[in-house]
Parts: sequence; structure tokens; C-alpha cells
Amino acid sequence: MSSSSISASLRLFTTKFPNPLLSHKTFISPKPHSLSFFKTISFQKLPTTPSSPSLSAAAASASSSLPLQPIEELPPKLQEIVNLFQSVQEPKAKYEQLLFYGKNLKPLGTQFKTKENKVEGCVSQVWVRAYLDSDKNVVFEADSDSVLTKGLAALLVNGLSGRPVEEILRVSPDFAMLLGLQQSLTPSRNNGFLNMLRLMQKKALQLAVEAEKGKLSMSEKVDGGIESVNFESNPDVGVEENPVGISDSLSQMDGSAENGNFGSNSNARVEESPVQSSNSDSLGSRGVRIKEKLERELSPVELEVEDISYQHAGHAGARGSDGETHFNVKVVSKEFEGKSLVKRHRLVYGLLQEELQSGLHALSIVAKTPSEV
Amino acid sequence: MLFKDLCLLGDKPLVGRLLVILTIAEHHSNIVPWQLVAQKTGAILKYVTLNENGAPDIGNLKQMISRKTKIVAVHHVSNMLASVLPIEEIAHWAHDVGAKVLLDACQSVPHMAVNVQSLDVDFLVASSHKMCGPTGIGFLYGKSELLSAMPPFLGGGEMISDVYLDHSTYAEPPSRFEAGTPAIGEAIGLGAAIDYLSGIGMQNIHDYELELANYLHESLRAVPNIRIYGPVPSGSIRRAALCSFNVDNIHPTDIATFLDQQHGVAIRSGHHCAQPLHRSLGVSASARASLHFYNVKEDVDDFVRALKDTVSFFNSYK
Repeated sequence: MSSSSISASLRLFTTKFPNPLLSHKTFISPKPHSLSFFKTISFQKLPTTPSSPSLSAAAASASSSLPLQPIEELPPKLQEIVNLFQSVQEPKAKYEQLLFYGKNLKPLGTQFKTKENKVEGCVSQVWVRAYLDSDKNVVFEADSDSVLTKGLAALLVNGLSGRPVEEILRVSPDFAMLLGLQQSLTPSRNNGFLNMLRLMQKKALQLAVEAEKGKLSMSEKVDGGIESVNFESNPDVGVEENPVGISDSLSQMDGSAENGNFGSNSNARVEESPVQSSNSDSLGSRGVRIKEKLERELSPVELEVEDISYQHAGHAGARGSDGETHFNVKVVSKEFEGKSLVKRHRLVYGLLQEELQSGLHALSIVAKTPSEV
Repeated sequence: MLFKDLCLLGDKPLVGRLLVILTIAEHHSNIVPWQLVAQKTGAILKYVTLNENGAPDIGNLKQMISRKTKIVAVHHVSNMLASVLPIEEIAHWAHDVGAKVLLDACQSVPHMAVNVQSLDVDFLVASSHKMCGPTGIGFLYGKSELLSAMPPFLGGGEMISDVYLDHSTYAEPPSRFEAGTPAIGEAIGLGAAIDYLSGIGMQNIHDYELELANYLHESLRAVPNIRIYGPVPSGSIRRAALCSFNVDNIHPTDIATFLDQQHGVAIRSGHHCAQPLHRSLGVSASARASLHFYNVKEDVDDFVRALKDTVSFFNSYK
């Protein structure tokens, strides 16, 4: 009885002081299973988010540890502007730069200062106007009664005006952080900035949709109409709806079923806009690798690499891949001298073996020597 | 936000085309609920305009009060004009015609002693977050016989006496108007704020701020091209310790942003929840510097210096 009462009181005791008393085996019942009453209390440290120390460093330097849209994906003028602001360190100088942009902004006619053109979420009044030029690029105009806001509007107008719709839609609001102005501007001001961008993107989309509707009523060959292109490279694109890729190439195609339907299924995703397929600055990673390899090995006088995967989207070769399946390659190089056509093609194929084994489905090769061009 | 409490008046007393008198300088929280009531009951809202001094026109107010008036709902101190209304007189005029007075004391309670007995107002409202307390809570004072005569506006727990299937009986005020579990933490916080202010003494706070108010107004007048709203302080006219202003050709938001980022001075810019007032003044927005007992003259000096620098920065870009 006395021992049980001692062990009972010990049991109470050990919930608070487990360790020292465990060693006194004479007090504890010899049966091993009762040792389970005397578990030690341990405290497990909860995992903290590992990014917290680096976040503050990242915030200070706006570095790439934050998942921002890479600067290369921004329209060229906007990249220039971002670089300019990044090179200006002092906040006051940033303001001066901002005011300078605003001062040189083309004035907006009062007839355009309408409700549809007004930016929500701005403490000051801001209007944005958008229209398409003859090349189907979006032109923006803006104005504000606050000079700082006008400066911000000017940044956006300068950076986005004259660009194609898809490029504008791809711009993520993140880039405001790249400017470094966030340090200098209040959060509500930034909201106005983001809302300006959103309104511009919304207007660009609207213009594209309207233009497409206009085109469709004329064209009888195109199947369906608006294709949905997922911009996989930037999941954070700042538009509410799925961006619509309007392709001039629609009118160029001969209307075959394969070409007319891009579909919205994930197998037909293309990484770049079809409009720019002939423009090598918008090659995806495979296209870049192909170019680099050929440049390195063949020292070409002329090299053109064209991603034409969109033309084959939806058929067996492309299914299940992420685009970048079909390329046109034109190479002009001394390396081809003295080689037959078959040998030249084998040379190119040989250099691109890795790609061919990892999803590249077909190459259409034009291989010439400098004297043959 | 507490004015929705007064929407319960939308049932009996405001039947018919009867008048609610407001001023054009009222905060949105003392305008919009009345608009909602007017939609329900057909009551008419009338607004007192400003006089040539830039303060609400008291003569105009007196004229407006008639037998048809049911409620006079006015501010004690204007959060934008810094003017003070003579509430005791207004209450007399209102009671003479059988009208009730609701006082929006959000801008006065934190800065001076407000005595509901001597003012003789029927209802008074104030906000916790303007008096050093937490957000999300405020209070309504009402004369007990009036509150007892009013039906509940929100139903639920706490406000009942007995609940049956087809009807319920209600608790006495204040519980009658406090359905549901209250904001306990916030209420305790407000209590602490009240104790804190009482410890300092409301009269002390008022006297100190009166000096500060005059100093602020005087110092701001020295800024070139500035327009300060509200009356000029004098022997008979006192101002609260705040100044709303605009500087020619510079947007108030630009001023506020620059003051904040370059000089570490925080002011407010916008319409200060008084859009009708701004419209009547012919401006879309204004800047506002406001002080409380924790500010000192040096703060005013720093602010004015920073403001002058801000103004010259923006002027150099014209």
C-alpha cells in the first residue's frame, strides 16, 4: 500500500519532472510495460519557413530569389525602363525620373476621359485609352491629375504601347517590384499602378477580341474562331480571363482542319505566340539549344532556326510534348563544302541527336555553303 | 458606422415626408445611413451650407428647423474644416419644435470634454479608433426613455427576454440593441483607452490642443499658394488641431506621397470621407494634417519645413 501510494504520487510527479525520478528504479514498478507511464515530455520545434531570412535580403535587392517574371520576358521598351530605374538608386532621383516621363507623355484628349477609361483604385484621377494601329499593335494614351501617377502611367504607355496583344497580356504585375519604386511609393499608389496595368491589359484583350470578330465575319475557312493559348511560361499573368492569342497566321493558313484548330487541350500548348514563330528572339529553350549547337559546331555564315510546332499541334508527333517539336533550320556554312545533300543533313541530325531523342520530332533542313547562297 | 443603429428610427418617428437636417460637411457615416432611411420612409434630407468663413452656416441651420423637422443630425467638430458647432443652441432650437438631436462626436470626444447633460443631445455617437482605442467598435449614447421606446433593429441572442415560436419579447436597453456575442476584446480595449485619456484629463488635452491648433494654422499660412479650408481662428472662433489644405497646381496625393517617402511625415490625402463637402468646395481631393495631444510644436515645424520642400520639388517640374 505504501509503495503503491508512493508510486501513485510519483506518477503525478513525473508528469512534471520526468528525468531525475526515472533513474530511481526502486520506486518504479519493475514491470517494464509500466515504464510507459513515465514518458519524457519533449518539445518538437515546428519548422519555420526557410525563406524568411532570405526574403528580407531579396526585398532589399529585388533579387531573383522571389519568383518574379524574368525581365527578358518583358517587352523591350519596358525592359529598358526597368533597367533605367534599377540603375537609379536614390529615391528622390527615381521621382525625378518618374516626373520626367510624365512630363513627356502625350496629352490625352478630354473626349477620352470617360468612365470606361478611368482607372479604379486610384486616389487621383487616371484615364487610359487604347486602340489598335494598322499593324494590329495596341497603342496606349493616358493622363492623370497627379504628376506622380502620370509618371507611372507614362512608364506603362512607353513600355507597352505599339506592342502586340500577346506580349502585353504576358506582362506580370510583378515587374512593378523590379522598378524599385515600391520602396518609394505608398501601397495604395501601387494598387493604382497595378490597376492601370490591368486596365491596359483588359483593353488590349478587348481590342483583340473585337478585331478577331471582325476578321471572322469575313473569313470562311477558319474553324471555330478564337483559339485559347495558355502562356505556360508565366502563370502569374495579370488578367482575369485566359489570354487569347490572336494569330495573323490564321489568315495565312490554307484552312486545313489541322491548322485551324489549336484547341485548348494541354497537348497543343505552344510556348510562344504563333505570330512570332518566324522571329528567333522568342525561341523556347529547345530552339535556343539547337541554335547554340549549330553555331558552335558549324560556325555558320547564316543561321535561321524557326519553331513551327504550332503547325503540327494536335497530330501524333506533337501529342504529349510541350511544344518545340518541329523546326525549320536554315544553315549556311563552310562545313558543308564538298558534302552531298544527304551527308549535310546527316551532319546536322548528328549534332542534334540529344534533341531528337528528347522530343524533337522533325527538322526541315536547308543546308548550303556560302557560295551556293 | 453606428448610425445604422439610428435606422431603427426608420420605423415610427420618421413616417411621412418629414425632415432630417444635416450639414454639407458631414462625414459619409452621417449621410449615407440617412439616405437609406429616406429611401425606406420617404423622409427628406436637407443640408446646411457653408458661410463665407468656410464653416457651416448656423443662421441657415436655424432657419431650416421647423415643425416638420424630426431629426437634426450634425457633427460636433468637423473632421475637415476644424470648425465647431454650437450644439447647446442647436439642441434648444431642435427641442423647441419637437425634433431630436443626434450628435456625431467622433472628432470631439477624443479632444475635449463632451458633456451629454449640458449639451442635452438625444443621441451621441463616437468612434473607438479615433480616441486611441481599437478599431471595429464605437458607441451610441441615448436618453434612456428614448431608447426604451425604440424597437430592436438586429435580432438574436442577448437582446431577448423570452423567445416563443411565434414571437419574442425583448430586453431593456442597452442589451436590446446588442444582439449576438459582442466584440469583447475591442470593448475592453476601448475601456482602456477611455481610462488612459481620462487619466490625462480631457480639459488638459483640449487646452493643449487649442494652442497647437493655432500654431499649426499660423505656420501653414506661411506656405506659398496654400489654401486652408475652414474658418480662420480668432477670439470667438476656435479651430480643432487639424488643417485640410490644397497647394495650387499640386495634387494632394503627390504631396502626401513625397512627404511620407522623403520626409517621414504622414498626412492624409483624398476626400476624407466627405465627398459632398469637397464637391461644394470645388475640389476633388485635399491634404490633411491632424494633430493629437501626443504631437508637439516641433512636429508642426518639421511638417511645414517638409511641406515647403515638397512644394518646391513639384514646382520645379512644372
